[in-house]
Amino acid sequence: MKDVYILGIESSCDETSCSIVKNGTVELATSTSTQIDIHENFGGVVPEIASREHVKNITLVIEDCLRKANMKIEDVTAIAITYGPGLIGSLLVGMQAAKTLSYIYNKPLVPVHHIAGHIYANSLVEELKFPLIALVVSGGHTELIKMTDHFNFEKLGGTLDDAIGECYDKVARVMGLPYPGGPKLDKLSKVGSPTYKLPIPLNDDSYNFSFSGLKSAVINLNHNEEQKGNEINKADLAASFQKVAVTSIVSKTKKALKDYNINNLIVAGGVAANSILREALTDMCNENNIHLSIPPLKYCTDNAAMIASAGYYAYKLGRRADYHLNSLSTTSLQ
Amino acid sequence: MISLYIDTSSNYLYSGIVKDDKLVSSIKKKYEKDLSKEALPKIIELFDKASITPKDLDKIIVVNGPGSFTGIRIGITIAKTIAWALNINITPISGLNAMAISCNTNTYKMPLIDARRGYVYGAIYDKDNTTVVKDSYIVLHELLDKSKDLDEVTVITNNDLDINLKKEKYDPDILKIVKHFEESDSINPHLVNPIYLKKTEAEEKAGL
Repeated sequence: MKDVYILGIESSCDETSCSIVKNGTVELATSTSTQIDIHENFGGVVPEIASREHVKNITLVIEDCLRKANMKIEDVTAIAITYGPGLIGSLLVGMQAAKTLSYIYNKPLVPVHHIAGHIYANSLVEELKFPLIALVVSGGHTELIKMTDHFNFEKLGGTLDDAIGECYDKVARVMGLPYPGGPKLDKLSKVGSPTYKLPIPLNDDSYNFSFSGLKSAVINLNHNEEQKGNEINKADLAASFQKVAVTSIVSKTKKALKDYNINNLIVAGGVAANSILREALTDMCNENNIHLSIPPLKYCTDNAAMIASAGYYAYKLGRRADYHLNSLSTTSLQ
Repeated sequence: MISLYIDTSSNYLYSGIVKDDKLVSSIKKKYEKDLSKEALPKIIELFDKASITPKDLDKIIVVNGPGSFTGIRIGITIAKTIAWALNINITPISGLNAMAISCNTNTYKMPLIDARRGYVYGAIYDKDNTTVVKDSYIVLHELLDKSKDLDEVTVITNNDLDINLKKEKYDPDILKIVKHFEESDSINPHLVNPIYLKKTEAEEKAGL
């Protein structure tokens, strides 16, 4: 069978990324321009600034990726693009570049949902085995999804309020940790003990999550101790928060696997880089004989390799878009 | 000589192809919010109508601002992607300059785009379209003050601005704009970026 090379482009938030992936599983090259340093000044991603950076970087990352792969656009089979969800101003820069390249090189244009990309990051490590449960944990998402085949997604549950990554960043900010605070909170928690008592979020029969109550509890606790003139042990608070947040995610995931009698779990999204979550999921899967796949750190955060990988399976299924394809800030996984 | 013109700096798509001093296809169409969806398909229609392909281009002239931030990024991204991929000369130009060039008058010209809260994007050009006051994000009255000593000024705008000067609507003369810039220097496509003239609110607040 002829090899399929997909050039993927991702620009949904603050990373401008281009990647070429062979047959959905082999990453040939990726070039990513990250804006973390810029947004650090503002304590979070500023959408207008992100959009401005994407325009500056878009052709540079594509050129760099092609150079690394030692390929020309003529050599690729199709172009995959993140159409949503994400920051609209950011998305549309990648979209215009992808549509334009698709037109001038007469290459099929394959639309990819950002979350499908995160899930397919796992196929860069090993091929997906169905049926599976996908746990998507990121700055914008906390979802449990059942898949019985490629691009067959059934959402079992999701967050009712804040996404887990959003909650991490907000809690980290209250604790005075610089943006992006999630990874710093994770690191800090390792030298602390879970001594603070925090409420267990949404301990019910659904597959849904809720993190705003937990976030408020940390903010209140921090505030009350300050009022009393007590010094907060940040490491202990970080450990306490992590324990509760991770326990909630792991127990709902375990319930989904058990209820649907599924033995494959894949984890996706930026928070999949969290060390405590990785440990807890690994333990749970070992105890229950579940096959666990967590992508390496470089595939957890936003990157175009995952878009190119998802793009390969979408391409095989005949998914195509014409030049009227538009970016969407919100769109359900399909 | 074949040139492509793209201006998406307002809620209009202004685009055209000029071949051997003739405008062979063009579009001037208003979009409320579908510019991101429609811009490329409409530009493709221009190529098809003129029976040429992007590879045939000798030059791309693209408006890099000022105006709608999102709008400008759409046109710039399409233009720089074509120029980079096919190694075509590209010249970014000011939309205000394009407005002045399109206006046939023997007076000074003041192209204006409403930037809200009393501000405009504006400039003053003389009858030969040379800059008198450079492109600025400025309080309207300050710009008007700067024009006080000039004998006759024509305002070019599509916005409803309360000004006591002779006013003309902007209707781009794509052929004239392209001829004006056809021989202008080109720059590296990677360096073709919007000129916003205005910092983001976050940068202003942070004092950056």
